[in-house]
Amino acid sequence: MPLVSSNMQMSEVVEAHTSLIPVLNRLGIRLGLGDRTVADICTEHQLDTDFLLTVLNTFLNEEYFPERKLRTFHLSQIIDYLTKTNRYYERYQLPNIERHLRSFLSMSGGNPSLALIGRFFESFKETFLRRIGKDDGEWFPYCLELSRRLATNPDVDAEKGFSLPSPENAEDQIEALLADMKSIMIKHLSGEYNDNLCYAVIFAISSLEKDVKQHNRIRYRILLPMVAAMESLCRP
Amino acid sequence: MNRNRQIAIIIPDTLQQLGLQCLLSEYFPLYRPCCFSSLEQFSHAADTFDFYITDADSYLVSLEFFLLRRNRTFVIVREGVAPAPAPLLLPARATMETLIETLQPLLTAENTTLLPAEGSKELSSREIDVLQEIVRGSTNREIAEHLSISLNTVLSHRKNITAKLGIKTVSGLTFYAIMNGIISGEEIDS
Repeated sequence: MPLVSSNMQMSEVVEAHTSLIPVLNRLGIRLGLGDRTVADICTEHQLDTDFLLTVLNTFLNEEYFPERKLRTFHLSQIIDYLTKTNRYYERYQLPNIERHLRSFLSMSGGNPSLALIGRFFESFKETFLRRIGKDDGEWFPYCLELSRRLATNPDVDAEKGFSLPSPENAEDQIEALLADMKSIMIKHLSGEYNDNLCYAVIFAISSLEKDVKQHNRIRYRILLPMVAAMESLCRP
Repeated sequence: MNRNRQIAIIIPDTLQQLGLQCLLSEYFPLYRPCCFSSLEQFSHAADTFDFYITDADSYLVSLEFFLLRRNRTFVIVREGVAPAPAPLLLPARATMETLIETLQPLLTAENTTLLPAEGSKELSSREIDVLQEIVRGSTNREIAEHLSISLNTVLSHRKNITAKLGIKTVSGLTFYAIMNGIISGEEIDS
């Protein structure tokens, strides 16, 4: 897939890849893009063009993940983006799946196996919201504090080891649950159900899954190593 | 489970190499193409490949090698000029559609043998025992104890269960177990 560049018209980029709309939305960019280029839009929204391009391109191309480049951005930019994606999951994508799921369940004539899918989703949602809460309340503030202290006084001692939320190479629980939810519906669905609403649920799950994958790549491969490097700088 | 299948492309012409690589990765992504400009370059690893694609000149130069692998070797030919003991032919000037149709029967026939037989998708009775334990929330060590099997056996059962059902998480497995009557819903809630 060709890379998006700063002189392209944003509307053309979005026409070719409508899956970018939620990414733009969470950054405050809304439709009605007119003829403005990617660079114009960044200036208007006071966004770092380089950063936006990297985010868009890594979102579009699963193969493309310029780690070196991503690590040159400021930690606060990375955290800001991850926070915005978390907000987006919380406010839009989770409720969206929920809405589709609710009509899927109610329009499928009391199929008991579907009620189980509903319960599965509830437990997934709880796990996911717990992680987001931990990001907001503990991990992100810790990362930002570390970076602030390093900027003002590089000799400061780091607090004793903060347990990182999840080891880099362990399989991510959120991704695994989303994949299972999809696979269960595709492989193991039985009884009466509404085809069309079922597709709506699967579609909503898949788009969250894709989004979470990108979020996790940034989380584990960029933020985690950045923080580890800062921690080692802090230690006497 | 699915080992990547490998295709050796033995052609001195870079553009032809690149073209084949594109075609293969687009339409037959299960195969990993490896390019060589001549047979000498890869003779040490020659038999790790599932298929060979070469041009008529290279074919003739290493006739002995390719004759032994005749039913797994495609030879790129220009119209009407086929090397004597005709192997599988890939006409260089054919349309993309024809090229894909020529490659497909052999490349995809190979793939189907990679998939486990239909019957083996069913869980064995031991796997069902392990699944019940997982869903009840037992740790691997507890499962080993309850079923009097080794920890390694538990791990390998878990791996097989995941492979057969396509489900990784405990929540997912619980769903499957309830839906298929392997465990009752009440047992989980209690």
